[in-house]
Amino acid sequence: MAAGAATTSRPPLVRRLLGRQPVGYLFVAPYVLFLFAIFAYPLGFAVYMSFHDYFFAAPGAVVERPFVGLDNFTTALADPVFRRAMLNVVIFIAINVPLTVLVGLVLATALNAAIPFRTFFRASYFVPYVTASVAVIGVWAWLFNSDGLVNAILGPLAPDPSWLVNSFWAMPIIALFATWKQLGFYVLLYLAALQNIPEELYEAAEVDGAGPVRRFRAVTVPGVRPTTTLVVIAATITGANFFTEPYLLTGRGGPAGASVSPVLLMYTQGIEQGKAGYAAAIGVLLAIGVMVVSLVNRYLLERS
Amino acid sequence: MATVTRPQQPATAATERAVAIAPPSRRSRRRLLPLVGLAAGALVFLFPFYYMVIGALQREPNPDVSGAFPNPANLTLDNLRDINRAINLPRTLINSGIFTGGVLLCTLVLGLLAGYALARLEFRGRGLVFNAMLLILIVPFQLLMIPLYVMIVRGYLLGDNYLGMILPFAVNATAVFIFRQFFLQLPRELFESARLDGASELQILTRIAIPLAKPAIMTAVILTFIGPWNEFLWPFLVTKRLALQPLAVALASFISNVAGRQANPFGAILAGAVVLTIPAVALFLVFQRRFQATNLGSGVKG
Amino acid sequence: MPSTRIRLWIAVVATLGLALVGCTRGGGGGNQTADQATTATGPIKIWYSNNQDEVKWGKAVVAAWNQAHSDQQVTAQEIPAGKSSEEVIGASITAGNTPCLIFNTAPAAVPQFQKQGGLVALDSFPDGASYISQRVGSRADQYKSPDGKFYQMPWKTNPVEIFYNKKVFAKAGLNADKPPLATYQDFLATAKTLVDKGGVKAAIWPSPASDFFQSWFDFYPLFIAETGKQLVVDGQPQFNSPEGVAVGEFWKQLYKDGLAQKEMFNGDAFAAQKAAMAIVGPWAIAVYGDKVDWGVAPLPTSGGKDPSQIQTFSDEKSIGMYSSCQNRGTAWEFLKFATSQEQDGKLLDVTGQMPMREDLPSLYADYFKAHPDYTTFAEQAARTVEVPNVPNSVEIWQTFRDAYTQSVIFGRGDVKQSFDQAAEKVKTLAAGS
Repeated sequence: MAAGAATTSRPPLVRRLLGRQPVGYLFVAPYVLFLFAIFAYPLGFAVYMSFHDYFFAAPGAVVERPFVGLDNFTTALADPVFRRAMLNVVIFIAINVPLTVLVGLVLATALNAAIPFRTFFRASYFVPYVTASVAVIGVWAWLFNSDGLVNAILGPLAPDPSWLVNSFWAMPIIALFATWKQLGFYVLLYLAALQNIPEELYEAAEVDGAGPVRRFRAVTVPGVRPTTTLVVIAATITGANFFTEPYLLTGRGGPAGASVSPVLLMYTQGIEQGKAGYAAAIGVLLAIGVMVVSLVNRYLLERS
Repeated sequence: MATVTRPQQPATAATERAVAIAPPSRRSRRRLLPLVGLAAGALVFLFPFYYMVIGALQREPNPDVSGAFPNPANLTLDNLRDINRAINLPRTLINSGIFTGGVLLCTLVLGLLAGYALARLEFRGRGLVFNAMLLILIVPFQLLMIPLYVMIVRGYLLGDNYLGMILPFAVNATAVFIFRQFFLQLPRELFESARLDGASELQILTRIAIPLAKPAIMTAVILTFIGPWNEFLWPFLVTKRLALQPLAVALASFISNVAGRQANPFGAILAGAVVLTIPAVALFLVFQRRFQATNLGSGVKG
Repeated sequence: MPSTRIRLWIAVVATLGLALVGCTRGGGGGNQTADQATTATGPIKIWYSNNQDEVKWGKAVVAAWNQAHSDQQVTAQEIPAGKSSEEVIGASITAGNTPCLIFNTAPAAVPQFQKQGGLVALDSFPDGASYISQRVGSRADQYKSPDGKFYQMPWKTNPVEIFYNKKVFAKAGLNADKPPLATYQDFLATAKTLVDKGGVKAAIWPSPASDFFQSWFDFYPLFIAETGKQLVVDGQPQFNSPEGVAVGEFWKQLYKDGLAQKEMFNGDAFAAQKAAMAIVGPWAIAVYGDKVDWGVAPLPTSGGKDPSQIQTFSDEKSIGMYSSCQNRGTAWEFLKFATSQEQDGKLLDVTGQMPMREDLPSLYADYFKAHPDYTTFAEQAARTVEVPNVPNSVEIWQTFRDAYTQSVIFGRGDVKQSFDQAAEKVKTLAAGS
């Protein structure tokens, strides 16, 4: 505690009730207002919609929007397309998150070393993150076309049907694409975390005779543990909300629904078919799922 | 007056030292392996871009493998001209700039205020605000999108308006997070002694905290820039007037609607995509040197 | 990070939000009654599609009107583009900022817009129903809503037929002037020859994507050619009839033998000469023009019907009048102006698309003499079938498309079974639930 604040008299009532620096309310007020206006109200409205047979009407139109209780939720949970979408989220996360953590950390470690062209390398790994999905997906689609470069290289090993129309491979390709695209952000996070590992730890390990791999496992990995938690949670959340890839890359969740995502469903049901209540129910279920998974992740990662 | 301590950048000096200690042969071998690995990885990462640029410059699309190494005679700037004719590139770029700039401004002003308050000002309910902020990160935007749309266009009457575009993105939660982390890492004594000296919180923020926060600000700028620059769903919903559409939206609708009619649709699309990418990459290159050395992960437990 | 406390606060936040919602939900009413709006005149706004030729026509029509009606100026712009015009219009209806007229309203979306309260019944004008019936003729009934009123003005049609690449046919050793495409058997054999010897990747390459409207360009035209029926008639699904299943099996064979591709093509496969045939309407003539040496053939049927009996999908676009319109009197007059015989003739001239009128070949004889390519489409335009005007129309099409991609395109499961299952669902949807 700073010496100056030590007084023996009790702080005034205002201070006791509101904290030492109530001006904090003022500082944070615009942001809280923003949260309320942009976030709380739409979220509340979305939850409200999910309990009704809701669709949007023209202003002034008199329409019936009956309360349907949990109907939207039960329909969603019983819908095989929704179930497949949730399964796809699991597949996506199962591929994307470990890959991101592993490759991200290894890359960050490599990029942290004093190598020539460090700026160039850092830029090249970050560039995919910076580009619009829309732009990059076209290239990816061309690469994984049945006549594309990947199949040309693989020759007889190429799967038939080709990647994006293969119900087994479509999701993994999407997960791979997303991993490639997002990696730059996580490498950045890891790079920052690596700066905070004291050099002495590495030196001590080296003196003990540890090779580079051993040093990585013994010093680096534990040293960035909090960042790993952050990466896992952030990747899980972003992963659960994937939308652009099935929308653009696999022709709306092809082949035949093998790569639908919950958010894509929300889009087709809510915006195209006008079933806003049902779409909201899907969204609520998704958000709940993500929260549960995040909590589990956090618990597992921070146990030791 | 308390001395201002700048956060150290221990890594580079220490790394250099560690490298110097090792014997020369081990040093070069140690540098070679990661270098080769990195180069291979960079190749994989950059290849789609290389292909994007090549595709944008080709007169006729060449979907074969040989298309990756184009015939110099086949290179042209026509695609750029075509896409510019279809969607007014300068105007859409300006719209993108206004949209992104507005978001950056709001994020920096409101975010720094909020980040500082969450880190260094004690007031009841601080934890609640922080948790609410984290909640935003979890909920998918698509869930909120339609109610938001109704609210902003019908309620606030901000359809076809830059403000309507900016509003949902105005303060980037990740940026607030980064600011909070950074301020948490500055030594507490710094602020306490400034308070003792009678500085108001605002003065502390503007005279002491922000000048020190430059690395965090740089990081936040880059990360906040990317969202609105590449966002296409929201501005598309909110703006019906073509004159207001940012480049990402114009490009997406070009791909879905008009592309088929062009002489070389694929090339035109890629040309537009390259134009969309360049400012973001340029910004990154300019700022990346200043990326901060802060441990973002430690704030997770907060 | 998420904890018990945060879950508590989520509940609080959501509740507060719900409370706010309760207070602010609902919308403002219009500021005049519908009757007043019907006769009101004044400036109006319209949207037309972003097809280049239509824009050209649109600008000319608007200019001609504005010259004659200085107190009822029309402001026009292209429809804001999106993945589909339906979502743009739907969102606009919700926001209450639709223009008076949209010259690109898809009939399949009309039930939805009607449900939203976004469309004006044209019957509310004294000469509404009569004008439409007079202009469109016998097919007008296909555009009536279940309540018997017209919520759209049928405007123009692009009857689809088979475009084929003459050079590819010649290369494959087939008759390029009278291609053997009349029966399913002939079509399949021809397709095989084309892929084997014609140097194309696919004989025909309709988009395999799962959008609800894709079926309008593969299954539906052939189904109509075969049966002349809509997808749903009087609330009963028709596509799982023996004829419908036969059409499904035909396409399944094409996909199975690799004569149609399961992957999406980035662009137009026919224009890029990767496919030998395409199912499109006359708007494509301007696009393919010089790129491909093309010919037109009628759609195949199982037994080889007489071409003059074959019907096709209309690919029609209507004009909708939207409830946000204040000056409906002007809007209706402008609507009649833009669909007059003279303006329809200009539409034909500039865009090559067929106005929804009867007996086009004799009405615009001069045009067809100068552009003989379009004559076959003009004749076909008299024999078109529309998408059914039923509740939940978009969802019905999506349900069908999902079954189709599953059993036909990706060959998983029996066609009859998957169509039957879809039919069950469609029946419930068409009943309005």
